[in-house]
Amino acid sequence: MVLLLQYTLLFASVLILVALGGCFSEHSGVINLGLEGIMVIGALGGALTLKYINPSLPKLLIVLAVLGTSILCGVIYSMLLAFACINFKADQTLVGTALNMLAAAAATVIVKSINIAENPDNVSSTVQYVTAKKALVVNIGKFQFNWFMLVALIALIASYIVLYKTRFGLRLMACGEHPQAADSVGINVYTMRWAGVLISGLLAGIGGIVYITAGVSEWKFENGVAGFGFLALAVMIFGQWKPVNIGLAALLFGFFRALSNVYSGFDFLAALNIPGSVYNMMPYIISLIVLALTSANSRAPKAEGIPYDKGSR
Amino acid sequence: MSAENKSTEKVSFFARPAVQSILASLLCIVFGLLIGYIALLFINAKGATEAIITIIKNYFTYPTKAAALKYFGNTLVKAAPLLMCALSIQFCYQAGLFNIGAAGQYVAGAGASLFCALKLGLPWYVCLIAAFVAGGIFGIVVGILKAYLNVNEVISGIMLNWIGLYTVNMLLSGVKETASPYTVTLASTNKAAVLPSIGLEKFFSNNKYVTIAIPLAILIAVLLKVILSMTVFGYEIRATGIAKDAAKYSGMKEKRNIILTLFIGGALAGLGAAFLYLTGYEQWSVTQSSVPGMGFNGIAATFLGGLDPIGTIFASYFIQHITSGGSYLDKNIYPSQISDFISAIIIYLCGFVLFFKYFLNSRIRNKKNNAEGGNK
Amino acid sequence: MAENSEYAIEMLGITKRFPGIIANDNVTIQLKKGEIHALLGENGAGKSTLMSVLFGLYQAEEGVIKKDGKEVVINNPNDANDLGIGMVHQHFKLVQCFSVLDNIILGDETVKHGFLQKDVARKKIIELSEKYGLKVDPDAKIEDITVGMQQRTEILKMLYRDNEILIFDEPTAVLTPAEIDELMQIMKNLAKEGKSILFISHKLAEIMAVADRCSVLRRGKYIGTVNISETNQEELSRMMIGRDVQLVATKEDKEPGKVILHVENMTVPSKLHHNNAVKNVSFDVREGEIVCIAGIDGNGQTELVYGLSGLENITTGKIELSGKDITHASIRERSTSGMSHIPEDRHKHGLVLDYSLAYNLVLQRYFEPEFSTGAGFLKKNEINKYAEKLIDQYDIRSSQGAVTSARSMSGGNQQKAIIAREIDKNPDLLIAVQPTRGLDVGAIEYIHKQLIAQRDSGHAVLLVSLELEEVMSISDRILVMYEGEIVGEFEPKKTTPEELGLYMAGAKRKEVGA
Repeated sequence: MVLLLQYTLLFASVLILVALGGCFSEHSGVINLGLEGIMVIGALGGALTLKYINPSLPKLLIVLAVLGTSILCGVIYSMLLAFACINFKADQTLVGTALNMLAAAAATVIVKSINIAENPDNVSSTVQYVTAKKALVVNIGKFQFNWFMLVALIALIASYIVLYKTRFGLRLMACGEHPQAADSVGINVYTMRWAGVLISGLLAGIGGIVYITAGVSEWKFENGVAGFGFLALAVMIFGQWKPVNIGLAALLFGFFRALSNVYSGFDFLAALNIPGSVYNMMPYIISLIVLALTSANSRAPKAEGIPYDKGSR
Repeated sequence: MSAENKSTEKVSFFARPAVQSILASLLCIVFGLLIGYIALLFINAKGATEAIITIIKNYFTYPTKAAALKYFGNTLVKAAPLLMCALSIQFCYQAGLFNIGAAGQYVAGAGASLFCALKLGLPWYVCLIAAFVAGGIFGIVVGILKAYLNVNEVISGIMLNWIGLYTVNMLLSGVKETASPYTVTLASTNKAAVLPSIGLEKFFSNNKYVTIAIPLAILIAVLLKVILSMTVFGYEIRATGIAKDAAKYSGMKEKRNIILTLFIGGALAGLGAAFLYLTGYEQWSVTQSSVPGMGFNGIAATFLGGLDPIGTIFASYFIQHITSGGSYLDKNIYPSQISDFISAIIIYLCGFVLFFKYFLNSRIRNKKNNAEGGNK
Repeated sequence: MAENSEYAIEMLGITKRFPGIIANDNVTIQLKKGEIHALLGENGAGKSTLMSVLFGLYQAEEGVIKKDGKEVVINNPNDANDLGIGMVHQHFKLVQCFSVLDNIILGDETVKHGFLQKDVARKKIIELSEKYGLKVDPDAKIEDITVGMQQRTEILKMLYRDNEILIFDEPTAVLTPAEIDELMQIMKNLAKEGKSILFISHKLAEIMAVADRCSVLRRGKYIGTVNISETNQEELSRMMIGRDVQLVATKEDKEPGKVILHVENMTVPSKLHHNNAVKNVSFDVREGEIVCIAGIDGNGQTELVYGLSGLENITTGKIELSGKDITHASIRERSTSGMSHIPEDRHKHGLVLDYSLAYNLVLQRYFEPEFSTGAGFLKKNEINKYAEKLIDQYDIRSSQGAVTSARSMSGGNQQKAIIAREIDKNPDLLIAVQPTRGLDVGAIEYIHKQLIAQRDSGHAVLLVSLELEEVMSISDRILVMYEGEIVGEFEPKKTTPEELGLYMAGAKRKEVGA
């Protein structure tokens, strides 16, 4: 039971972070379908930090270093989306998809190259971080607290404040709803959209490292992040682009995802003898159902997905 | 005077949409390869030039003509399903739908065709139909969700990709080899399910994997071109894609068209999977934990092909050519995924094509205006 | 501010060229401090371009802009803002899901460490609102308030920024007559308080009522400036159009025939809000008559037509076309049963902009045996031939004829193409929704003639119009819509614009039976 709670919170943290990322991007008017790819790159940065960092450093330092590199990688990678979609008005769906594929390929190439350089016979795409990973967690009784849960909570509260209480949030949302209006009062729509996308890169980057350190001590980068970026988008839609609702939606999705990790630990579930694949499918099936129920009346930012062109007023 | 004539001729040449598309695609390829080369330089500068040449040469690395032909055949064998996935995505894109679910429809097609072939022992043509229908059903789900419940087809498509993967893994775990996670071979279980080769293998040094799948895929591409540009259905599909509201206004059944389009798209991708798995070239691994990349590479092929079925034939071949080429790299120096990397870069660059054309056209217009101004 | 120039803003000798046309040809406008200055011109006369130059959206090739007598350079809207120039755009620039207050402060927020200080803003807004008589609820969301209040929000946006020069771009188009009066009063108050106002309009009566002076543009050229006290509507009209125009179309009296369209107790839901947009409406349209639906924009006309054409399902009621029940018929069935529809939004509904003109001309008929084979192939030759015929017959001008992309055509010719397509179907009923919107006088005359020709040849025409002048001049019968209901039925000869106005504003109503 504790394990189920622990995994629920962990996966919910991932979903919260990434969904908030999507939320910032979409509120600025850019649909970020590249979240999945940003997660992979963020995860890669974090994983390599874990691999190379001296495990005897203070734990806090390790956590911060991992966080820092993941953020950096996520932000830099999201620039590719911002550049193409905002400045060059590229098709947001196409570029997002390209980023997902690029991330998977690039991460695999990078990890394999590193592995090959270390040992020409090791052609796997796996990064191991057994020892350093211990810095990320604190055992409270049976419950393994992960610092990233705290990070997700902070991100959630901060997002709420930034979106609804600050000048930045007001301007950001104006750009996603009615960019011409924002432009007419002197707000630079391009800058705000860049900001939205970069924040999504920041959050999705963290989400990536949280995902690959949840319960495992190594990651095979050929596998990417198994559609989690898209699950996060479903969470965001279910949460109607509002931080608090996103938090709740993430808990629901996190629960079903956690179930696939720990179902064998429950006697009554194990007794049902349902194949593991069914549990694996659960989050995706749930999200399809949720999308079907919520999409018809969605309150998506009105101008999302439409490139802003200064000329057309 | 003559110089000016020349320049206007040249201008009109570059103004042609087809020329612009080809030019844009070629640029994407050149830049994609260039960036791939730079990546290779980073990994290991010494062998990078040779490596990129290996990727481009693909089967030409074999010294004998016979061997090269044989492996040329292999590239074609894999290009056919890729082409089908690309056509699937393209057909849907014409109707304004981004069918990223092609990957899952492909999986469904693989599952259905292999299940029919291995478990039910049915002949190849029934397996093809099964793949067609299975892919189509996956497409229909996306279509219904889109048409009636406004679900973004990209997100539902991705979800179905995973659902499809796990379902097919379950479905096929009954026909796998005992010692490995792979499905039993067609040749040993049900020879009647292997696609006929009608003698095509002779042109490829008796490469037995070369089957009717390849000409069929090309034929389907041509058929789609005809449907899109010459029929009432194509007229409706494209109108729906460009101007959904105008299509509705004119009385086209947009919901029906969305669902029908995704059914066809799904069916094409499903058929694509059968085109590969029914040759016996590959076996399905029931423990695979990621969706096969064929459906995603299809995106690269379709955009590189300038969103034209005929262009896509060549683009699919090219993408598969470099993907296959990647497998000839020295695995102990370079990861073969460098090819996927190049494909992904190419898709990313395709995002700039519209801007490129716009830029080209405004340059042409300015030039023309200047020329006219000069005459006055 | 120490300058003693008489003028708040001057645009002197402005010339702005676009490829192929001169949008502004040596235009001069001088706005005195504290005056209301009207800028009059037809659609396409160059008013918008001139304002875009003032706002730094375009750079003029020639000419200078002076503020308080000093030359200034305006490169972008921020420069204009800094100079105290504000504008109420024709299409409001308001974020629908934001509150009035958020919209007003957007871009000019009071903050402490980045956090919004809304209380400070609220105080200032309430002060301004009281000072100028601009009633708004600062916490209401834009999507929930009336158009009039939205406009007041836009005005407050300018005042909040302490703008001295206020530009109103066609501000009355969306207002009820009562709201128009209120706006006129507000503008006068603002001028009295020392604000300088530029009032862009093509409505002569309003200019006469509120402006001090008026400058006229025609086809990009500056025609002149007159004092309102020394002129009259006829003179302004001549200046605007360059000749005497009789907008009153000529048509003979005609006895209407049998009922073509019969609508009984129709109710249509709204996409925008939870109420019904059309409530229990009944009316008939008969052969050989033009029935006009008059009303202020947003009173259910759009939804009424959606209900009739099948773009929206109706909740209750019955529709008959030439005696046939089409209540549940599909859009296509209605079209083939003799209904034609010139849609309100020609870009969204009327055309597939990236298709060729020829393909657009068969948008309602491509499936007919004339244009497609039994096997489902398009007969491209027939389509092109047909297109050539319509292009010729309806004088549709385009750069490359039938193969021209619809997107590249001018608004007037796009509309002609739609009209050609819809009329050539030889419909029993032609529904035309604001068919003349945004067009110049020549095109308007042409379209009116086509509508009357339809009527004269014995067909039924249902016209939805927001322009009272148009309503009065070409209809045989007028139905006034207010808040989704038909509140009055009139004969144009037996009513006046003033009377219609009262009904349109909901001040009066009478029972109307079908």
